[in-house]
Amino acid sequence: MPMLTFTEEILLLLGDEEGMFLPVEEHAFECALAGAVLMDLAFAYRIDTDLEALVTIDPTPTGNPMLDRVLAKIAARAGTTDTRTWVGVLSREDAAILREQALANLVERGILEKRDERFLWAFGAVRYPTIDDGAERGIKARIEEVLSDDIPHPRDVALISLVDACEILPDLFPDRDVASFGPRIALLRKMDLIGREVAGTIAEIQRTVVREARARAERFQKLLLILSACGGLAVAATLLSPPIPLADRFGPGLLESLWYDRVWKQWSGYLLLGLSLAGLGIAVAVKKRLVARIAGSHGWRLFHIALGIACVLVLFAHTGFRFGANMNTALMGFFVAALLSGALAGAAIGGTPRLRKMGVRRTGRHNRALIGLHAIAICPLPALLIVHVLTVYLY
Amino acid sequence: MSPKVVPWAVVAATLLGAVWFAAAMTVGGDRSALLIGETTDAHHQIEIACETCHAAPAFASAARAEKALNRGCRRCHDKELKAADDSHPRKKFRNPRMAAYWEKLDARLCTSCHVEHRPEITRVGAVTVAMDFCVACHSEGDQDVRADRPSHAGLGFETCASAGCHNYHDNRALYEKFLVRHAGEPWLAAVPVHEASARQRSRKPPSRAALARSDAIAPEAALADPAWLDRWAGSGHAAAGVNCGACHAPKSGKNATREKILARWVDAPGTAVCEDCHRPQARTFVLGRHGMRRHPRVAKPRNPLRQLRRIGLSQVVPDEVASWLADAAPPTTMTVAEARIPMRPDAAHRALDCGTCHTPHAVDTARAAVEACASCHDDSHTRAYFDSPHYALWRAELAGEASPGTGVSCATCHMPGTGRRNRIATDHNQNDNLRPNEKMIRPVCLDCHGLGFSLNALADAALVGRNFKGTPAVRVESIDWAKKRAATGKRETGG
Repeated sequence: MPMLTFTEEILLLLGDEEGMFLPVEEHAFECALAGAVLMDLAFAYRIDTDLEALVTIDPTPTGNPMLDRVLAKIAARAGTTDTRTWVGVLSREDAAILREQALANLVERGILEKRDERFLWAFGAVRYPTIDDGAERGIKARIEEVLSDDIPHPRDVALISLVDACEILPDLFPDRDVASFGPRIALLRKMDLIGREVAGTIAEIQRTVVREARARAERFQKLLLILSACGGLAVAATLLSPPIPLADRFGPGLLESLWYDRVWKQWSGYLLLGLSLAGLGIAVAVKKRLVARIAGSHGWRLFHIALGIACVLVLFAHTGFRFGANMNTALMGFFVAALLSGALAGAAIGGTPRLRKMGVRRTGRHNRALIGLHAIAICPLPALLIVHVLTVYLY
Repeated sequence: MSPKVVPWAVVAATLLGAVWFAAAMTVGGDRSALLIGETTDAHHQIEIACETCHAAPAFASAARAEKALNRGCRRCHDKELKAADDSHPRKKFRNPRMAAYWEKLDARLCTSCHVEHRPEITRVGAVTVAMDFCVACHSEGDQDVRADRPSHAGLGFETCASAGCHNYHDNRALYEKFLVRHAGEPWLAAVPVHEASARQRSRKPPSRAALARSDAIAPEAALADPAWLDRWAGSGHAAAGVNCGACHAPKSGKNATREKILARWVDAPGTAVCEDCHRPQARTFVLGRHGMRRHPRVAKPRNPLRQLRRIGLSQVVPDEVASWLADAAPPTTMTVAEARIPMRPDAAHRALDCGTCHTPHAVDTARAAVEACASCHDDSHTRAYFDSPHYALWRAELAGEASPGTGVSCATCHMPGTGRRNRIATDHNQNDNLRPNEKMIRPVCLDCHGLGFSLNALADAALVGRNFKGTPAVRVESIDWAKKRAATGKRETGG
């Protein structure tokens, strides 16, 4: 059986025990795949690279469709293009295909298993849990050996450069003091081994990209945590606080107008409906990767949370957080459950890096459970909203 | 079950629920789950007969729906308001000269002040605006009450209706002229007799028509029970010549033969036989909380076939399905368990019809006037009655120690007799003079008490709770103010 490619190895290393992927920022993940496939081509003597240029030295197919597709693309490009540009191009245009092809290869080899856990068309995820962890253990053992004092194989040096560039060593060896590997990694970089330059160049470029992406991811997660916590607190505070007393004075008051004036109620109701639909639309679009190319998914996800907070405010304006009776109670119950579970899911995802630093493992399962709860709370809302709107117009 | 099935199951269940609700809204079926908030105490009994109030066609404009809603209010309450000489009748505010007030409080619409299904803002009298609502029109211009009434200068508008001085609709016992005329009355009349009750209780049926025990015409099995016979023989029915067949065989007609009566005998006749003879009582019974479910204005259950025809689906939906969607028939009687005031738990199962208060065969009005009420009601006012001076007077009258009309039963105050001369009928709408309680002054209190005492007593909630055992701790100053104003020669109104 042919050996695993860098792309497959890096995917195996990035996968966690639950079949999801380690919390590497999406763009960094794509860069890692792009870098890995370039390394594969370099080790197959098909390309050569330095900081200035990446050139094809042998356009003959390697026999691996995944690598040959990229090789053909590089060979077809007229003129000289530097490595950084290729990492950018491949991460943007080919990462999804590379990922699918590499995962398919790993499934075919019996290392991973594909589990489709999507529901309601857009929610949930496809997981790839490991069914044969021999390969992954082998890779980790190779990295461990090289990080100790063994004489390294050029492929292993390249792999370590890639892993180091992705900054996933702490996730791979949670029980080890990763900082102590620093001198050894620096030494490995200086070793004169075949392919080191190629791998080093790619890894160097990738390191910058990953760091930028990681910084972005940290900012995103911080914002996500803050916004979600604000939303959750807003819902919890309005639910737990005693009802706001209305002024017992005749005359137009803001709250009275908001809660009891027909026109205001209609406006706030339709605004709430609009915000909810927008929030749902964005969630589906992000999940189905329809908007990621426009502005990346981070911004949309934050916008989704901001819409949730806006929903809390408009819901307060529409109802005063009164649950009403019967069908209205059900509608309010599910709406508040959707807002609260969404806020909790956002806070949990935003807080994942902190939890991991605190030694909490398997956070993905809890995050998925909260997102599932969020989706289930949303399910009855369209029907209940239709009935709610109909009752307003029929009675 | 796979976890993936759960969301789909939730979606499917809610879609089915939505279809069911849509059918219930447009065709027929139980709609109680659609109630958006608790209905007021006044209407909760008829809340599933939505069309009684929501009479506008589906998807009518908001203005049209509101008009229909208000028409619904007027259909049931117009007569009552007219009888109360409504101080703020709708016609007064329909005048374009009143347009300036429409913006402040549109008094042309009942729903400006009374909105259903909003328990959180529903106040006493089912009012859903702040109780100082008088401020809307009486705080400026020529309607400013403080302008020509120095006595009102320091008063807050929230006290207008709560101090025993004014009501929005019914001010019959509060007009200035009336107050002045009754000023200085002693707390108790020289001859404290409730006139309508006195006339009712001293009325004797013609003795020539009276029937004896032996005159009863009934099947042998019925005659074999001496208790039934005894009760009937001692009742007003026997005294008025009403034989068994009048109720148990109403279809046999007047002066029917024994054979015909027995042939058409019904063991347990419905309340229709009572209504046949006691029409004024039956008419007023459906106006009160006890019998409002039988009010003719309450919407009847929807016919699903007609509804389907209306929305053009009669050809699509099979008749069997349509009949399955039929409205739940609203119960024709209220049970004690449905009451929202304290009631006796052992009476919870009772349904309210004629026989609930008037024991069949005995038809004892004295029992119906007190014991029947206390057998269900369990609030402080009812419990305190049996320790009150009113009850002592009632017992004395029943014992023959006092003349008719001197005793005060529950019915004396809450179901007073109405009518002229000898044609006095008990008003079976026990809510007629209940809220605001000043409505009770003219037809009841003033027969025995002075107006000042009555106003004070009714304004003292604690005294009402003690069923008037004691003296009022509240003093309503309206008589003094009215006298002072009359002395200055200012205009007096009403009478």
